[in-house]
Amino acid sequence: MYAASKGRWALLTALFISAGWGQERVQLCAACHGADGNSVNPRIPSIAGQPKLFIENQLVLFREEVRRSEQMAPVVKGMKDPEVIRLAEHFSKLPAKGMESGVADKALARRGSQRAKELRCGICHLADFSGQNQIPRLAGQREAYLEAEMRAYRDGKRAGGDTIMAAALYGVSDADIRALAHFLSRRP
Amino acid sequence: MGDSKLAPHAGKMTETPAGEIPVSKLKVPAGFKVELWASGLPGGRAMALSGDGKKVYLGTRVIGRVYEVTDAGDKRTVRVVVDKLTQPAGVAFKDGALWVFAIDKVLKFDGIAGNPNAQPQDLTAKFDLPKEQHHNWKYIAFGPDNKLYVPFGAPCNICEPPTNEYAQIRRYNADGSGKEVIATGVRNSVGFDWHPKTKELWFTDHGRDWMGDDGPQDELNRVTKPGLNFGFPYCHADGKVDADIKKKDACKGVTRPVALMGPHAAAMGVKFYTGKMFPAEYQNTMFIARKGSWNRTKPMGFDVVNVRPSEDGKTAKLSRFLTGFQEGGEGYKFWGRPAYVAQMPDGALLVSDEQVGAIYRISYQKPKAAAKKQ
Repeated sequence: MYAASKGRWALLTALFISAGWGQERVQLCAACHGADGNSVNPRIPSIAGQPKLFIENQLVLFREEVRRSEQMAPVVKGMKDPEVIRLAEHFSKLPAKGMESGVADKALARRGSQRAKELRCGICHLADFSGQNQIPRLAGQREAYLEAEMRAYRDGKRAGGDTIMAAALYGVSDADIRALAHFLSRRP
Repeated sequence: MGDSKLAPHAGKMTETPAGEIPVSKLKVPAGFKVELWASGLPGGRAMALSGDGKKVYLGTRVIGRVYEVTDAGDKRTVRVVVDKLTQPAGVAFKDGALWVFAIDKVLKFDGIAGNPNAQPQDLTAKFDLPKEQHHNWKYIAFGPDNKLYVPFGAPCNICEPPTNEYAQIRRYNADGSGKEVIATGVRNSVGFDWHPKTKELWFTDHGRDWMGDDGPQDELNRVTKPGLNFGFPYCHADGKVDADIKKKDACKGVTRPVALMGPHAAAMGVKFYTGKMFPAEYQNTMFIARKGSWNRTKPMGFDVVNVRPSEDGKTAKLSRFLTGFQEGGEGYKFWGRPAYVAQMPDGALLVSDEQVGAIYRISYQKPKAAAKKQ
């Protein structure tokens, strides 16, 4: 009886410690990406509602320094796979919401919508741009972030990830990338 | 196509524990046995064996690592040789040295099998790598002519390549000198080997996407002489003319494949079998891993096939050899994706699984009844 309750106590303590530690890391993420995973900083991406596998992959790529980021590298240094999976699970379950304020430029949004069709973005990212598996959600993502990342893919500066994005954006103009970012960031 | 939800399958970059790899689901012909040989190799794909076969080097794509697996008889240990590279998929071993090809970098590690601290020489400048990344991850191998064979894929699904540096296979001297383009019109080859007798190069090539479920097929090609054109982007495997990039007489002068490897099947690693362990009928036949389709409504591939060339080498027959990665039926329900095949000194086969980051070993034991008769 004593042994059993002691065992239970040890288990509870272990759970409490791991939950508390996990919570600390979650709060570290929230400091930049927003308390609910929706980013208030236009240059930092929202991570709420991103597909779980997409978040896992990106955390691994930052840890391996294949996707290079001065901000992310120290945060994920030495992070073990089980914690990567736990964090991905947490943020993938939070509801995504659009963070762009201000009035949309209708002509620019229309041009973005048209280019998204022509470039077939909706095949992999799905018709509502909510993403699937390793492919990120684009709907409601921060506009400045989308624009910067698409340019980096096109210019071969975001290496490591699947090269299919470099191929998809091959030869797409700056103006079209701006239109795509404007359109996608305002999708529900 | 506009409404299609087909997308490349997600790779997995976290470790899959050995206990979560359902190796008992794998099926091989009677007398053969398949077992889990190594795991904990996220993204591991092409394999290069050290001279004595005690070490296996594996390249990866997105995770950017090269692994070394050491065979200690009853168990295997794994370490990372180099990381932080851009898709270091190509690995080759010769004269005690390991060559690693990333999309934008070439490294050579002398004496690596005996010295884990061996530092690489950077040979990038010698190999004249083009700048576009897509389809430019590599499979590499040394031929019987001691040259290093390196493919350069088309940087697109379908296009006229931006320069004449793409859609081809080249060979070089080991130090990067003597560059020679030996085959053109090759969309994306990531597997090849040489026939043990004729010494001809046989290579797989992936057909384009978004031209329907049934084509174009992946190819198995034979290089009878340098300079052949294999058709990309105008003419595909089954003599099908391209739907987007058109040219008059699109298939004129194009060398057609020896065998069709299945539409969108992702035919990858090729290995001619020369070991003594398997029955004699497998001598000089090929084992080819088909990683499995994504750009197709119903799954195709997800297996290793045995491919038997005809006497004259002009045709070849496929039969499925290793299956069980994909649960039956029409939907995509797979747990593993076989990518490359290697032969061990004892004649057993190794098969790498890029999805779960593992290596399986396939061995053969003569059935007892048959043994008695002899």
